Amino acid sequence: MSLLPYATAAWLLGIGLYGIVTSRNYIHLIGCLAVCQSATYVLLLGIGYRRDAIAPIFYDHPPGTPAVDPVMQALVLTDIVVGATLTALLLVLALQVFKRRGTLDPQKLKPMHPPSNAGTRDAGPREAGFAGEARPEPQP
Amino acid sequence: MSPRLRVLLLGLAALVLAPCALAVIAAMPEFGTAIAPYGARINAVAPAERNIANMVTAINFDLRGLDTLGEEFMLLAAVTGTVVLLRGRRGERDGDRAARLPGRAVVPRSEAVILACRIAGPLTALFGLYVTVHASLTPGGGFQGGAVLASACVLIYLGEGYAGWRRGVRSAVLDAIEGGGALLVVLCGLGPMLVGAAFMQNVLPFGTFGALLSGGLVLVANLGVAAAVTAGFSQLVLEFLEETRAPRPDGADGGDDA
Repeated sequence: MSLLPYATAAWLLGIGLYGIVTSRNYIHLIGCLAVCQSATYVLLLGIGYRRDAIAPIFYDHPPGTPAVDPVMQALVLTDIVVGATLTALLLVLALQVFKRRGTLDPQKLKPMHPPSNAGTRDAGPREAGFAGEARPEPQP
Repeated sequence: MSPRLRVLLLGLAALVLAPCALAVIAAMPEFGTAIAPYGARINAVAPAERNIANMVTAINFDLRGLDTLGEEFMLLAAVTGTVVLLRGRRGERDGDRAARLPGRAVVPRSEAVILACRIAGPLTALFGLYVTVHASLTPGGGFQGGAVLASACVLIYLGEGYAGWRRGVRSAVLDAIEGGGALLVVLCGLGPMLVGAAFMQNVLPFGTFGALLSGGLVLVANLGVAAAVTAGFSQLVLEFLEETRAPRPDGADGGDDA
């Protein structure tokens, strides 16, 4: 029974990874990544938990009352904020992929395959990544 | 790589990694019995040392304030990346009106929604401020309060519609608030060095335990983080909503191969 929190974290990470591997849509994939990340919340809070202890806030309870680990809670706070902003960033990348290639399916994105509607400027190597595509492009 | 092959690879990886994960899980400390010594020491020492009741705030803005500084700039970088990607792609070509999908009726907002948002918006903002300023006492702080404040900002869009949102929420103002918030956190680090203390050392008076203004420098850093998170999240929402703008009718939007 005492292993349940850690096993839950591992299971969350597992199903998140399964979702990422089988994903046919980038939005769905980003959601799966959020599931993976929630495994870290469960793990951190599980590590920091102590039975019959209060939250690490000594306003209603006098200092010295047994409390759970505040470091883990601070880490989860960090985790959530960073996760939220990175999700936004990933959604933007998905938006850019859809605008460029007209699809959100990772299967249909062949890295070395130039889009059919583009001229020579798109036939070059694509390893410049998405950041390169954010530049205002010169019109041919 | 075919989907089946990918699942097969994942299964192989799981076969290898699952025993390792099980071994780690079995070796973990017993759940719910003890916490790490670092956290226990903070619980024991920090209330008296910093006059802060909320240990999470004490860690975020004082004991591990340097980490928050890094996180602050991670937030700034993610928001900047989002803005650059969206705005650079969009350029200044689009008009000020929201785009309409042909064939889809525009349903006006019901008065109930407007009323609910006008009531809930200010209340949400007030609650966000409450959560923010009580960082050193009760659960809350700049991150949580900032997220609530940004939600209040989104309620403007829900209640007033796109035009009202465009009038009320200015991108330049959000930029200034976000940059100012991050700058304030940096100054919290550099300021103490001016008086000969270490980086981010809490040199301000701590106040009395349990008072609203307790914790010294924590209060300033908390405000900076609250400003940066509020403006950062609002900026994200704003940039995504800007994506719905219609192209200018004069056809100046050529070249977008979307």
